[in-house]
Amino acid sequence: MRKSSLSVLLWLDVFVIMTASAWGQAVPTRQSIPRTADGKPDFTGVWAGPGFTHRVGPNDTDTPRVSNFDPKNFAPFKAGGEALFMQKETGEVLHDDPTAKCLPDGFPREALAPYATQILQHPGVVIFLYEYMHFFRVVPTDGRPHPKDVEPTFMGDSVAHWEGDTLVIDTMGLREWTLDATTRPAIRYHSDALHVIERIQYTDPMTASYQITIDDPKIFTRAWSQDFGMKLHPSWKLYEQVCEENNRCEDGKCTAADAQK
Amino acid sequence: MKTRFGVCAAGVLLLSAVAVFAHHAFQAEYDATKPVKVTGVVKKVEWTNPHIWFYVDVKEDSGKITTWGFSGGPPGMLMRRGITRDVLKPGDTVKVEGFRAKDGSNNASGGNVTFADGRKVFAGAAEDVVPQ
Repeated sequence: MRKSSLSVLLWLDVFVIMTASAWGQAVPTRQSIPRTADGKPDFTGVWAGPGFTHRVGPNDTDTPRVSNFDPKNFAPFKAGGEALFMQKETGEVLHDDPTAKCLPDGFPREALAPYATQILQHPGVVIFLYEYMHFFRVVPTDGRPHPKDVEPTFMGDSVAHWEGDTLVIDTMGLREWTLDATTRPAIRYHSDALHVIERIQYTDPMTASYQITIDDPKIFTRAWSQDFGMKLHPSWKLYEQVCEENNRCEDGKCTAADAQK
Repeated sequence: MKTRFGVCAAGVLLLSAVAVFAHHAFQAEYDATKPVKVTGVVKKVEWTNPHIWFYVDVKEDSGKITTWGFSGGPPGMLMRRGITRDVLKPGDTVKVEGFRAKDGSNNASGGNVTFADGRKVFAGAAEDVVPQ
C-alpha cells in the first residue's frame, strides 16, 4: 500500500511537467456537454477550480496551487483606491491573514482556494459546495433580483441568469475583506462596495472557462476581469476540512504537542 | 528508478516556483528565512485537519534526543495527491526539510520528506514554501 501510494506521488511529479494528454487515458470522460431537462448546461459534479493546475494525472489526480489575481489585469486605481486595496502589514494576524485564525476567506477568495468545489444544479438554483472551510453558495437562477437591504457577509448575496450556455452570477453584499491570498508586499483588500460577476461556460465536456469580474468602485476606476479554468474530476468527492481541529501554530505561536512534552 | 527520482526533483522545483509566490497561513506561522533540515525517526503522526503534523526524534551530537514537530498539508489535499496516511509511519527514518516556526520553537513546516531509501515526497500544503 505504501509503495503504491508513493508510486502515485512520483507519477504526479512526473505529470507536473508533462502534458495532460499523455497521462489522461485512465480518466473517465464523456463525449458531450450534459444538459438539464430545460436544456441548460449541467455543471453538476466535483470540480477543480482556479486553485489547481488542471493537468489530470493517473487516478484522476490534479495538483493544487494557490491562485491570485494578476496585477496585469487590474484597472487604474481611483484617488485613494490603492491605499484601500494594498494594505500594509500591521503584524496583527487578524488583519494580515485572518484565515490563519480560521476566519473565513470569503468570496471571491474562496473560489480561488486549492480545494475542490462540488456543484449541484436543480431547476431554478445552482448550489456551490466549497471544500475549504465548508462554505456554500445557494444561487437562484430564476431571474429574481438581489433582495433590498442586503446585510454584508463574507460570501455575499448571489443571483444568476443564463446568457445562452453561459451561467452568469452576480454577487454583492460583501463585507470589506481580503480579496485573495496575496500578502506581499501588501495584503489585498476589497471594499464593501465590491460587486463580482462570474461567467461559467463549458469549453469541452470536461472543462469550463471561469471568468471573474471585479467591480469595486471605491478602489478602481472601472471593472476588470480575469480568466480562470475549471476541470471536472469524475472520481472526486469532497473531503472534510476543519480549520479549527488542530490549528496549532496560530499567529506564529506553535503550541507544544504531547509528543514534545 | 533513478530517472524517476530525477524527474521528481524537477517537479518539486517547478512546484516551488509556484509556491514561492503563493501565500497562506504559512507567512503568519513560519519564517521562510529560517530553513530547518533534520534527520531522525518518526515518533508520531497526527493525520488531522487543517494540516497533518508529524514528530521526528532527532539525536544530537551530545546524545540528547530532541523532538521536532512538522506541519504538512491538509489530509484531503494529500490524499487527492496520492499521499495516504500510511505513507509516513512511526519508526520510519526520514530527512525533513521545512521552515522554522516564528516563535522559535522546535516546530516547522514540513515540505520535503526523504526516506532512508532515497524516496522523496512533498508533504506540504499548496501554499507552503518548498525548500530548495
